[in-house]
Amino acid sequence: MTLRTGKSVHRFIASCMAIVACAAMLGCTTHAKRISLPRTHFYDGQLTECREQLEKIHKKHQQDRDVVNLDLAVVDLLDGQCQQAERRLKEVRDRFDHLEQTSLTEKTVSMWTDDSVRAYAGEDYEKILIRVFLALSNLMHDGIDAESYTLQIQDKQEAIAARLAPSGEGEANAAAFPGLPIGYFLRGMLREQTHQNYDDALKGYSQAAALLPECVPLQWDVARVQNGVHSQPGNGVVYVFAMVGRGPYKVEVSERPTSEALLIADRIVSAVGPYQLPPTIAPIKIPDVVVPASDVDAVHVSVGDQPVGSTVSIADLEQLAESTYRSQRNQIVARAVARRVIKKATVVAAKKSMGANNLTGLGMDLAGVAWEATESADTRCWGLLPRDIQVLRVEAPVGVHRLQLHPMFHQLYHPNPHTIDVRVDNGRNTYVLCWFPESRTPGRVLTSHPAR
Amino acid sequence: MMRRRDWLFGFSTVSLFLGSGCRGHQYGHLLQPTDKNLVGSHEAGAEVFDPLVDEAVAKLLARQEEAWPECPVGPDGLPAKKSICFVCVENKMAEDIGDFKDQLYEQIDSRILESNAFQPISRRMIDAALVETRLRPDSLMVPDNMRLLSSVLQRDGAPVDYFLYAKLTSGTTKRNTSTQRDYLLTLEMVNLHNGSYDKQSSEIRKGYHKTAMGQAWNYNPFKR
Repeated sequence: MTLRTGKSVHRFIASCMAIVACAAMLGCTTHAKRISLPRTHFYDGQLTECREQLEKIHKKHQQDRDVVNLDLAVVDLLDGQCQQAERRLKEVRDRFDHLEQTSLTEKTVSMWTDDSVRAYAGEDYEKILIRVFLALSNLMHDGIDAESYTLQIQDKQEAIAARLAPSGEGEANAAAFPGLPIGYFLRGMLREQTHQNYDDALKGYSQAAALLPECVPLQWDVARVQNGVHSQPGNGVVYVFAMVGRGPYKVEVSERPTSEALLIADRIVSAVGPYQLPPTIAPIKIPDVVVPASDVDAVHVSVGDQPVGSTVSIADLEQLAESTYRSQRNQIVARAVARRVIKKATVVAAKKSMGANNLTGLGMDLAGVAWEATESADTRCWGLLPRDIQVLRVEAPVGVHRLQLHPMFHQLYHPNPHTIDVRVDNGRNTYVLCWFPESRTPGRVLTSHPAR
Repeated sequence: MMRRRDWLFGFSTVSLFLGSGCRGHQYGHLLQPTDKNLVGSHEAGAEVFDPLVDEAVAKLLARQEEAWPECPVGPDGLPAKKSICFVCVENKMAEDIGDFKDQLYEQIDSRILESNAFQPISRRMIDAALVETRLRPDSLMVPDNMRLLSSVLQRDGAPVDYFLYAKLTSGTTKRNTSTQRDYLLTLEMVNLHNGSYDKQSSEIRKGYHKTAMGQAWNYNPFKR
């Protein structure tokens, strides 16, 4: 064992500390940690405080801006600022479309740091939901662009299916990514309202029904547009969209890479020269999707004192987020392993070039381990989504009606229903949007046609 | 020597996991009237629908104008054009037409408006009448329904002489990795006064191939 002079030891220790400090700066807090406070405010029903916190993150953390914008859009929508919500959603939609192109620089940097330095281009389900929320936000004020948004949902679903399908096109597309039923449903709903395009409405409802074969109200919709009409003369239709439960979000989890993955990594490094890899101590950090337990099942609706039914699911976001994550999990782990290989290779190359002795080598190994340990998982996601989007169609006579919305907790009605007065126009749709994340959170209800 | 190999190793490892490509911008440009339409790679687009509309409407109107070479004159001395209620465009093709549907309606409506023989009824009036009567477009061939809609339009100051329907259909032929799709636009005009009808179709055939040589292989002079 060769002892180094005091000067060289000091220089070496300083180098190690610099590496560790740099690594710590690059990856420390995750988006999940930053967003926990505003999320708590949101589920406590404190929208103003939630907005303030989100805006702070929006200003401070550039890489989080798009997902924070999505969360802010939800806050805006529930606060009745539908146009503001639509503006934010459009901005993120365009950003995500732009970010679908790859950036060599970001990929390179992320291999030396972690995935959180990459611009977040959105999960596939988020890209579709942005368009769904755009349509809903638009319907809540003037509804002029809602049809365009439903076409965009369709386009995006087709593009994702084409990308995921192994063969690139054909029938495999549908199997690779069947799409969200709500996208087809919204298209059918809007085309039915034209009183002319029942063929388009039939196609939309049929596609939604094919994805949800057990959803009986969708079968009624199909039957109605096949042989019936939108509504009887003197009637209009109220669509109640209910956002229930707490939706999926990502957290950081530590996971040891599989022995196969590490073996491959070690072989790659060892094949290049007579290097000894540092011991693998730090587990790989990857994001995981979490869906909190929810006690809200559905929303029961009464018009006046007359019960008319309960909302049914047309977009199970829990299932969608989990299936999307599962399909990408291997890629995320593979990227983390690749990153580890690169970092290890860097340490080995540095040791070799400095001609490090045992003591120095040990120090550099420790610095390398610290470098790996300071990685953070990319937990960015649209965190304020509901668990489920549900809908109920109610045909009602023209005029003003008082709707009572009873969130159902474990099949029991909430004792204090939310009420809202809505205006129903002849042959037209009226939209009601309500949000019940959990029993302790005060619900929010808004409508496109408030009673004057 | 060793150092250079280290760097080469580092560089190759990074390259191994990186794809190529940088984010670019999106650009747009205006098309001149003489520019050709893009030819859709997976489904029909402007390259199919534009000529279909042009041909079908022109032939239908030409035949009708031949039947009435001189436009009748109304009591006010102005030409009394036949009034057409263009009900809807039906899509019975294997493909979605998405935002083309409303554009097809407007294209056909505008062509009719330019003719000497016909005067289309405003779409907004037709929409309002359909909402009021709650009639489905496909139920208007029932005589009672036909009378009901025409009476509502007449009450609103738009008497109807003809109902016009446009229907898109397709036929698909497959041969290994190539597909031929025949697109047909049919305009059907029904005279409300005597029940007679006229019909005009136009067709465009299009091939879709999964290989660049698909067209040359399937559509060459030596192929039967």
